[in-house]
Amino acid sequence: MKAAGLGLAAAPALAACGRGFGGDDDSGDGVTLNMVWWGDAARAEKTQAALDLFMERNEGVAIEVEYQDSGPYQDKLATRFAAGDAPDLMAMRMDSLREYADRGALLDLGEYEGDLDLSGLSDSAATLAAVGDSVFGVPAGLNTIGFVVRKDLAEQYGADIPDGDTWGWDDLAAFAQTVSDASGGEVYGTGFDAQTLANIVVYCRQQGEDFFTEAGELGISAATVQSWFELIDGMRRSGAYPPAGFFEEIGGGPDQSYIAQGKLASQIIPTNNFLGYNAACGGSLALLRIPGETRSVRRGQSVDCPHLWSVASASKHPEEAVKLLEFLTNDPEASLATGTTRGVPANADVAEEIKPSLEPDDQLATEYLMALQEEELPRSYTYPPGGSAIADVLDVIAVEVEFGRTTPADGAAQFIAEAEGALAG
Amino acid sequence: MSTTMQSPRQQAGREDDDALVERFGSSRRSRFSRHVILCAIGLFMMYPLMWLVSSSLKPNGLIFSDLSLWPAAWHPANYTEGWTALEYDFGVYFSNSLVIVVLSIIGNLFSCSLAAYGFARLDFTGRKLFFALMLGTMMLPGHVLLIPQYILFAKLGWLNTYYPLLVPNFLATNAFYIFLMVQFMRSLPTELDDAARIDGCGPFRTFWSIILPLCRPAFATTAIFTFISVWNEFFGPLLYLTDPELYTVPLALRQFVDSEGQSAWGPMFAMSVLSLAPIIGFFIAGQKYLVKGIATTGLK
Amino acid sequence: MTASAAEAAVMPEAVRPPAPLRGRRRARRDRAGYLFLLPWFIGMLFTIVPFFASLYLAFTDYDLLTPPEWIGLENFTAMFSDPALLQSLKVTFVYTFVSVPLSLAAALGVAMMLNRGIRGLPWYRAVFYLPSLLGASVAVVLLWRYVFGLDGIVNAFLGRFGVEAIAWTSDPDYALTTLIILHIWTFGSPMVIFLAGLRQIPVMYYEAAAVDGASRWRRFRSITLPLLSPIIFFNLIQSLIASFQTFTQGFVMNNGGGGPANSTLFYNLYLYQQGFNQFNMGYASAMAWTLLVIIAAFTALTFISAKYWVNYDN
Repeated sequence: MKAAGLGLAAAPALAACGRGFGGDDDSGDGVTLNMVWWGDAARAEKTQAALDLFMERNEGVAIEVEYQDSGPYQDKLATRFAAGDAPDLMAMRMDSLREYADRGALLDLGEYEGDLDLSGLSDSAATLAAVGDSVFGVPAGLNTIGFVVRKDLAEQYGADIPDGDTWGWDDLAAFAQTVSDASGGEVYGTGFDAQTLANIVVYCRQQGEDFFTEAGELGISAATVQSWFELIDGMRRSGAYPPAGFFEEIGGGPDQSYIAQGKLASQIIPTNNFLGYNAACGGSLALLRIPGETRSVRRGQSVDCPHLWSVASASKHPEEAVKLLEFLTNDPEASLATGTTRGVPANADVAEEIKPSLEPDDQLATEYLMALQEEELPRSYTYPPGGSAIADVLDVIAVEVEFGRTTPADGAAQFIAEAEGALAG
Repeated sequence: MSTTMQSPRQQAGREDDDALVERFGSSRRSRFSRHVILCAIGLFMMYPLMWLVSSSLKPNGLIFSDLSLWPAAWHPANYTEGWTALEYDFGVYFSNSLVIVVLSIIGNLFSCSLAAYGFARLDFTGRKLFFALMLGTMMLPGHVLLIPQYILFAKLGWLNTYYPLLVPNFLATNAFYIFLMVQFMRSLPTELDDAARIDGCGPFRTFWSIILPLCRPAFATTAIFTFISVWNEFFGPLLYLTDPELYTVPLALRQFVDSEGQSAWGPMFAMSVLSLAPIIGFFIAGQKYLVKGIATTGLK
Repeated sequence: MTASAAEAAVMPEAVRPPAPLRGRRRARRDRAGYLFLLPWFIGMLFTIVPFFASLYLAFTDYDLLTPPEWIGLENFTAMFSDPALLQSLKVTFVYTFVSVPLSLAAALGVAMMLNRGIRGLPWYRAVFYLPSLLGASVAVVLLWRYVFGLDGIVNAFLGRFGVEAIAWTSDPDYALTTLIILHIWTFGSPMVIFLAGLRQIPVMYYEAAAVDGASRWRRFRSITLPLLSPIIFFNLIQSLIASFQTFTQGFVMNNGGGGPANSTLFYNLYLYQQGFNQFNMGYASAMAWTLLVIIAAFTALTFISAKYWVNYDN
């Protein structure tokens, strides 16, 4: 009794001197949209500028924003959905899209065709979040992966940077070998994760296979997985690629990257991070395409997005949420405010319009992506439910191969078996 | 530490800190070697803090390239930049964290000591069952409780307030501290209660005037542990707080980080170092109570 | 006493009641006990509802987004044929049974050294406690990278003795060892509890022993150990429970993946992945209750053994 009494007495007493004890519910008459996304304070500032503009034009609509780092963001989002407390508009990861969409948690934006105009998007951008005939998200921005090379290190060690549009995997190996040899092991010529899904997806597409097929199945063959492992293994043995254990999975970000520290001369990055990486590398980076694009069965690169915007099917204000989405996607002023913090604007006209206002590095990355969009590329299919389990499986097996605990052939076979199991389960 | 108001017996106990116990057969040489060992271990333990402080004083570009503890270039402005880098300045986050921590400590001390006394010194029907249930609540991984708890607090209308973080502490939901106090109370001689009963003390008097004063080390431990765990807690505040004005320090620190772009590492390190200051300060201030046990209060 | 045999098995000696009472006196005692436990009873409402909700979910197929569906024991049977789960059990057991004894021994050893009236005691105590204060903020995670990185301080130190650089965090053969070292390094928490416990031991016992000319070892064996045993017992139980539930360490070290090659896939980490990344909350709940049974079994064993070594009355 005493304890409860004290507890109840203490709380109001402190409410006077502190926030966080309720009572300041300021939801007035209008509509309040809850919008959540991941990122940092810098991105928040840019986003808020766009939202302020929207609220100015739409009186009676207030937007409550919340953002976190991407890991915690996922956890909180899942919890809120489970508790029936879903936000209205949210950032959605490509690999969780179908986890939510297939269970009816997201609004089919196709039904709002009149309010949300996706005609300004390239085909590859507009279909990113398409499942069957429905569309469950709009790319918040576009990106892709690209190969960055340190020009200063290449020059220092007398390695010529190949033509980034036409180079092949053997050109990469030769370039990397030259750097590694000339530096006496100080710098490795190249290094990229074997286990990062985005990387192997491109390689696999170059071999004429889709990692995930349209039907949501695993389309990659054991032979392709094996050749991917062998490609890296070969470079590792010859010293062009760092030894096992070199890549440490702690932290992240351009500043801590091996290429910024001068331990690698080239690596794969998401293109929307080019500005950050180039700044961390003192402006010495060249942005190339992924090797093998013109020398393989078909093109491998595709247009992707760092995240999608989705609307919860349980949203009480779908019209307003869609209106905001339309504003963010198609209004140049919104993109002028946000810049390329989430990648290149999905609407090509908008992207073209804001390009002059961008910093030179962002302009470069934007051009890279716009050029890619104009080309004929194979379609990339959404991750099926269970896709994240496949990423885990690949992560385990790639390390086993890296440390020689299993051969590329055995690892590849094991991957196919476990990945198919994960999709089936 | 004042010694003016104490009985001779208590003074003998207090001496324990300095000389008394050292008289029991430790030579000057063994004392010296002990200091050498302790200092060596100490250096090892200090390294992380030194690294954090040193990183917080480096310019952004040097943090990950200059590995030495002594910065090649100094950038103390990280502290001023960091303080104001986010939506609210860090004073807001610090005072939010402080309010939560202080209330949590009060709540834990109060509710857990009551429950602990009940479990340790009283007899009542179902005591063993309740005790086992209490221990059981410690054993279930918290992740599976998150969603039901979230629903519960949402139904109570407590989202975006501090209640989900505070009220449970006033209701003895932290079995760890109850169990800790139970163990301390059980190691006190049972004659104490008997003597008190003969003197006509009810259980509340016995609890308040006899057991509580003797359990000061357990309370100091509880207070310190609560401070640390609540101050560092990330996930609870993450789930229940949405308004940045209510954010705690760990939530704010996370906002410096963007795994996709350029993060403000220097300011982030500076604020991380500042965020450690209250914990270290509280420990240093509180630790003298860790030693005020039965030995120093002169119990026969 | 109405305690069942099962309850008696769980807590034989630790909470030993005084002689039984009858009738009105019994009721009066009950009332006092319940009054003290009142906050706890109310608090249990907050705990017990989610607690049993998760028990129910353990028997369902629950994907967080659609209502749970009763599937009986399926989650539990599936656990037996899940290699990742078995791996996570192995990781957790190795971690627990190596790091708990070592860190408790370190904590007790250092607490003993510090207890024997040493100059600069507050300073040492604070310094030894530092690693336990750090938490798992982003800054601290980055710190580990530079301590255990390939060109980190640990390798730099070992390099002086001619040891080749070790990939402490990215080599599957070393990653768990690294986490065990880290765990031992935070021996400050149990140390503080030991120190508090040591100060509960009346000095007069030592005085008497000194008069009798007892050796230092003798004093440790016959005074310190028995009188400290309730606190040792507490630290042991607490460390066991915490260690079986290790999450943050694995989460911090490898971006939450349990890598390299699942070598740090703690049970709790895998549970979290299942629940929140793969939306198998039913399976995660079944895992949680299985862990509860495992922990309860080890706790019960410790409680039973307590009869032989834990001393409550002086």
